[in-house]
Amino acid sequence: MNDSIVFNVKNLNLFYGEKQALKNIEIPIYKNQITALIGPSGCGKSTFLRALNRMNDLIDECHLDGKINYYDQDIYDQTMDVIGLRTHVGMVFQKPNPFPMSIFDNIAYGPRCQGIKDKQKLKEIVDEALKQAALYDEVKDRLKESALSLSGGQQQRLCIARTIAMKPDVILMDEPTSALDPVATLKIEDLVVELKKNYTIIIVTHNMQQAARIADKTAFFLMGELIEYGDTSTLFSTPQYKKTEDYITGRFG
Amino acid sequence: MSMLNKRKVYDITMQSLTYLSSIVSIVVLLAIVFFVFQKGYRLISWDLITHNYQSVTYTADLKEDQESGTFISTKTFDDGSFYSTKWGIAIKDDENLIGGTSVFITYVHPDSPLNALNNKGVGIEDLSVDVDYQIIRVAFDGASSALAIHGAEHMIEVWDSQDSFRELEFSTTGGGIRGSIITTLYLIVLTLIFALPIGVGAAIYLTEYAKNNRFTRFLRQMIETLTGIPSIIYGLMGLAVFVPLTIRLTDATGANIISGALTLTVILLPVIIRTTEESLKVVPDDYRYASLALGASQTQTTFKVVLPNATAGILTATLLAIGRIIGESAALVFAIGTAVKDDIRLTEKSTSLAVHIWSMMTDEPANIELSSTIALIILAIVLVLNISIKLLSKRMLRKQGVKK
Repeated sequence: MNDSIVFNVKNLNLFYGEKQALKNIEIPIYKNQITALIGPSGCGKSTFLRALNRMNDLIDECHLDGKINYYDQDIYDQTMDVIGLRTHVGMVFQKPNPFPMSIFDNIAYGPRCQGIKDKQKLKEIVDEALKQAALYDEVKDRLKESALSLSGGQQQRLCIARTIAMKPDVILMDEPTSALDPVATLKIEDLVVELKKNYTIIIVTHNMQQAARIADKTAFFLMGELIEYGDTSTLFSTPQYKKTEDYITGRFG
Repeated sequence: MSMLNKRKVYDITMQSLTYLSSIVSIVVLLAIVFFVFQKGYRLISWDLITHNYQSVTYTADLKEDQESGTFISTKTFDDGSFYSTKWGIAIKDDENLIGGTSVFITYVHPDSPLNALNNKGVGIEDLSVDVDYQIIRVAFDGASSALAIHGAEHMIEVWDSQDSFRELEFSTTGGGIRGSIITTLYLIVLTLIFALPIGVGAAIYLTEYAKNNRFTRFLRQMIETLTGIPSIIYGLMGLAVFVPLTIRLTDATGANIISGALTLTVILLPVIIRTTEESLKVVPDDYRYASLALGASQTQTTFKVVLPNATAGILTATLLAIGRIIGESAALVFAIGTAVKDDIRLTEKSTSLAVHIWSMMTDEPANIELSSTIALIILAIVLVLNISIKLLSKRMLRKQGVKK
């Protein structure tokens, strides 16, 4: 059973300068499941997400203690290969952020950075990633066109495809639908559910219905603390804590 | 009520002030362009651009394998020219630069023997005559010399009656600025080769790699200060550092184009660094995050994502740099000298267009007309460069799919 834990977070404290953003987080993330992180703005859920692929390293004042184990490796260990980690733990951002280059080049960007130059192989990777991201049929005839010519929803699916092209193990999603309309949102949700067969997905969302619809596990964050974590159905139907109940019933947040 | 009125008056006054200042600036700019144009347009011609500055007088005779013949020209000479079918040359009387009359060549037949002449004096061996050259004297063995003062008609008459000539004295056209244009182009190319990689590199370090600490802030402050230093000081530095340096490393013996380009490089670095930095800063962080999250290294992110997105800004920096190179005069007076030259070598003294103006104006009397003409040419070059770089960056943005 231990094998199915992808991330094991122990006693994680994270600070932005003097300010503590995460307090004593303990959470296991399970393989091939969708874990939703919910909570009001500024509760630390995005910070936690970025800690998992060390994107917080880019923030000057950020430091942390505690342990985040990816399988049995401490990702904050001195010897950790951060770039290698990010190829295993991909990330999709809140705002669709395709590079201003062609659709093909966007998806081939990651593999190219890993040194893959063979055109045939790149083509296979791109096609496969687009198919998995349910974007292939819409763009197969315009791979040479700029990615910025796509609609917002298509751009976000392109970003997912770009992440998939790296053949990651985990995909982190930071409110991937918050900039999209309801139809595009539904498409992404369907896609996420589809993707969990092959990937472990951790998704930050402001939308509790979304968490309820797609997530297997849900974690509720508040003021940098993990208040409650468990099966989505249990957490939404019979929350153990008053704060969780208040939040999911819309009494604050 | 009065409060309202007061505000209205205030609004109108302030608005009028802004209108007024914009009108004043436009009028001043137009006045300058008008002045330069009005003074300089008369001298503008293709010859000015393509010709040498120095007029050289040669004495020459025919090469051994050349002789007179019959060269029928299909051209009609109705501008007062006289054509010699025997020698394949047309000449006419015209006013020279100092107001006297001289004999000018108006046409040379392609097969004319005069295209292969032997220099009887010092310098290059092979000579040929060309349109607009002045013929001063033709000396013959069997007749008295034909001199320019006797006119073109007489000269052709005598020349046509002879099967050979002993020597031909002619002078090439002068007053052109070809040398200065070439020097300026050399300076642009060389300086950009030196300055762009260093400047862009420094800007990348400052924005992408350097931590925001005391040292970096100090560095930025320094660079900012360097932009404000008068260029003549850079010129002194060029004379003190780069001229000896180039003398050591090349076969230069004094100020030269390379030392000039190096001096300009130093002048331009702050400009290029700052402009590039600005353009790197506006590249959205989203791109950087996306790239890093895809497992790209910092270097890959910088060179594959950030830099291509800053191209438009870097092109702007290039444009500013070129403008500065063309316009710089004070520093170059020291760093490459003021000698107007026709035979341009990288390791020798010469003069750029702007310095050419400077030397024209220090002549006694100052040559305002020619200076204005050069100014016009500079304006034209800047305009062309400006437009082409704009088009280039527009095309690049379109390729990236950014609509602008």
